Amino acid sequence: MSDPFESYSDLDDLAEQLASDDAGERRVAVMELADLGDPQAIPLLARAMADKDAGVRLQVARALESYDGPAAAAVLVTALTDPDKEVASAASESAAELKDPASADPLFPLVEHTSPFVRASALRALKELRRKESLKPALQALRDSDPQVRVQAVGVVGFLKLEEAVPALKSAAADPDPLVRRAAISALTFSHTQTATETIAKGLADSDWMVREIAAETLGSAHGEGAAAQLLATLSDPFWQVRLKTIRSLGKLKHKPAIKGISEALGHAQANLRKEAAAALGEIGDPSAKPALEAVADDPDPDVRKNIRWALQQIAIKAAASA
Amino acid sequence: MTLDAIVDGISEVACDVLVIGGGTAGPMAALKAKQKNPKANVILLEKANVKRSGAISMGMDGLNNAVIPGYATPEQYTKEITIANDGIVNQKAVLKYAQNCYKIIEELDSYGIRFLKNENGDFAVKKVHHIGTYVLPMPNGETVKKALYRQLRRARLLISNRYMATRLLTGTDGRVAGAIAVNTRTSEFLVIKAKSVILCMGAAGRLGLPTSGYMYGTYENAANAGDGYAMAYHAGAALANLECFQINPLIKDYNGPACAYVAGPFGAYTANNEGARFIECDYWSGQMMLEFFNELQSGKGPVFLKLNHLHEDTIKEIETILHKVERPTRGLFHEGRGTDYRREMIEMHISEIGFCSGHSASGVFVDDFGRTTIPGLYAAGDMASVPHNYMLGAFTNGAIAGEDAAEYAANVDFASFDAGAVALEKERVLAPTKREDGIPPNQIEYKTRRLVNDYLQPPKVTRKYELGQTRLAEVRDDLENRMMVRNSHELMRALEAHSILDCADMAAFASLYRTESRWGLYHLRTDFPHKNDEDWFCHTLLSKKDGRMACEKRAVDPYVVPIAEDERDLYDKQRIRASA
Amino acid sequence: MPLAPTFTTVPVVVDDAKCIAEKGCTVCVDVCPLDVLRISDTTGKAYMAYDECWYCMPCEADCPTGAVKVNIPYLLK
Repeated sequence: MSDPFESYSDLDDLAEQLASDDAGERRVAVMELADLGDPQAIPLLARAMADKDAGVRLQVARALESYDGPAAAAVLVTALTDPDKEVASAASESAAELKDPASADPLFPLVEHTSPFVRASALRALKELRRKESLKPALQALRDSDPQVRVQAVGVVGFLKLEEAVPALKSAAADPDPLVRRAAISALTFSHTQTATETIAKGLADSDWMVREIAAETLGSAHGEGAAAQLLATLSDPFWQVRLKTIRSLGKLKHKPAIKGISEALGHAQANLRKEAAAALGEIGDPSAKPALEAVADDPDPDVRKNIRWALQQIAIKAAASA
Repeated sequence: MTLDAIVDGISEVACDVLVIGGGTAGPMAALKAKQKNPKANVILLEKANVKRSGAISMGMDGLNNAVIPGYATPEQYTKEITIANDGIVNQKAVLKYAQNCYKIIEELDSYGIRFLKNENGDFAVKKVHHIGTYVLPMPNGETVKKALYRQLRRARLLISNRYMATRLLTGTDGRVAGAIAVNTRTSEFLVIKAKSVILCMGAAGRLGLPTSGYMYGTYENAANAGDGYAMAYHAGAALANLECFQINPLIKDYNGPACAYVAGPFGAYTANNEGARFIECDYWSGQMMLEFFNELQSGKGPVFLKLNHLHEDTIKEIETILHKVERPTRGLFHEGRGTDYRREMIEMHISEIGFCSGHSASGVFVDDFGRTTIPGLYAAGDMASVPHNYMLGAFTNGAIAGEDAAEYAANVDFASFDAGAVALEKERVLAPTKREDGIPPNQIEYKTRRLVNDYLQPPKVTRKYELGQTRLAEVRDDLENRMMVRNSHELMRALEAHSILDCADMAAFASLYRTESRWGLYHLRTDFPHKNDEDWFCHTLLSKKDGRMACEKRAVDPYVVPIAEDERDLYDKQRIRASA
Repeated sequence: MPLAPTFTTVPVVVDDAKCIAEKGCTVCVDVCPLDVLRISDTTGKAYMAYDECWYCMPCEADCPTGAVKVNIPYLLK
């Protein structure tokens, strides 16, 4: 009877198979190297990365997702710069799974590579590795000609959460590309400095609705009364999606001057918005919102009705507590 | 050579901890057992292949019960699960999950599983409602199994694929002694002696028949035939609240999840044919399913997932998550029918019934360490009784059980068992291979499941249940005396047919025992339409006593997170319809 | 034992020209949770031996050469 357990293939056997004349057999050997889970497989993967068959190299790029550390990252560097597009994009995916901070070292030089795809992939991988040495090249990459590279660079800077990088993120928030602006605003979430708050608040007037949306959302996380006052403007944004996030943030910030503006949303055609308005009025918990809530208690949408009831309860609880 | 020919053979191995099931809870249990005691011999046994087995074979699109500091507290979560489950919970186990799950998320993150993060690298938890915030999307969730497998290989665990466990071995002293398994491609037997055993065998997902008529078009991974429930039952373990069925809202015919919880934070919702919301209930629960069922039956049915009010950019984002992960054929399905989220709503329906504590509360009874009522036997994941624990619960409770089982195994010797048990089991398993003529397992299975739909699907009617039991007994007679298989693959299906029939019998028996209605649609008895807390505020435990099925009540342990009387009512009150 | 053959449609289709099973690749067979794929003795290629598909996709996603295609089973299409 055969061994009932999954085998751990022998490295020498696989090395021999990697020297086969048949590309298919070499490819199968690479797949087994992936399953091995043994770092000793990495030198063999490095050798296979020089294979003339793109299919074998593609398999190596995929196999590398099973490994971490500088040796694996060094092979990924070769794979990322492979002339075959499929190989390079598989390598990009594998690189995004690196977790060992030491894996960053072989990646650093790629930030200045001639191909924007390679630059963006390297930065994407560096994000999770959170190495302080990434800051300088990432700041430089914020001025890259390619927007995808700039988006990833913002991520690298943002993941480090360094106050010293706030001015750079402020410039990124004025980037010509809306995706970069969105990322920059999200990357400023951590900082509660005046510059950060002002930069995010500026995003409320952006020409792109999704930038305005994320600005409205981000301001809700502990950016204070100053932020709340700014949010009053987007209560009348042409996009209900932006208004929804605005209302949610105003509720979180318990901003009383917003009650009138929020109450107006209780009559909007979009049920999602009515529901959010009711919930926010409950979070603020001020009795002045009571008449507006009671007037729409029979809203046709059950979720809206539930939130109205909840809001009225919150108001009653707060009133009882202060009495 | 004949395909999957039947080979005669048997071998025996021994280990400290045996984990049965390599899906979600199992790999984590095996890893943690090994980490807890590196000297321990740990075996992970799997009917399919650990690489891509279990409910999350193709991945998962997000966590929907992540208790992350700053967004929700373990106490708040415990409270919500208690209310969602009509009070019948072992709160200690729920609370322990809630306290441990964040650590597990961080660990999964370190394995390379990517959770949605903001540009500061913090988890981007999504808000679903004002009560608690538990949704964490996994934009690259298709890599979950690969990342897990990598960890198993690094730890050099003993993995045994394509072995289907058929029965547990119990010691003369009442402890667990190991398990018997059969190879699904050769029919060779493997006897595994073990000091402790952890069952992680998933839901009983092949119980009801999908309305499409395709036997494998189930909501759960169709490999999850309820083998674990059946094995626990035959070993004498207690199973809790089996009458609290799993029924899920799904995309009609495709039978995959509608993922309202993923699309929800983006503004999507479940609507009736007028495009209006109708669900009053706050929680994913039997109550919610009842509202769904009632709407389907009413003139306002069918029910839809509505996204067509959202912005193009938002829909694109949702599509990337939904069509890539968990059930990626979903995109293909919509494409085949020309369905476009932008233009029309997506028709939904309710699933076939099953057992699954991952979504409801029907499972092998466990305490807060995953211990069953048999010493040395543990259970985790969809088949263990911690309610609503989903994927993250399988990971977390698997980890808890793995550590405790390793500790248990370190302090005991192998239990001695009756040697005749192996020979008897071999004879039982191989019986269908010895017949020259008979009924194929797929017909036995189809008939069982069709009867489940006809007689056991809620609303539960006593007279129908009794008829169902009679008909299922006839099928059992055929299964035991006339079922025939020609190869090892068919033998696996025949053994699954046994599990399915056992689960059908348990579903009927447990449902008739609880003479009240509870958990909304999950246990809606037309003859006992009301909730009766006086007599039934308790768990029901089903077990095998003197060779027969028996049920008993078990008191709900005192709450560790108190629920005020008005909090319990709060949600009932919220369900009152508008006066207009 | 009576046998009554009927023809059928199967959800999983393998492109023989791309499949490298004869080189020792067994990925699709390995990853199938329902164990419905086999390597043919005659062609050396993978094929669907049992129509018991959960249309879950690992066989297609994990195939190194893109030889496997999973279709929605006709009954629920």
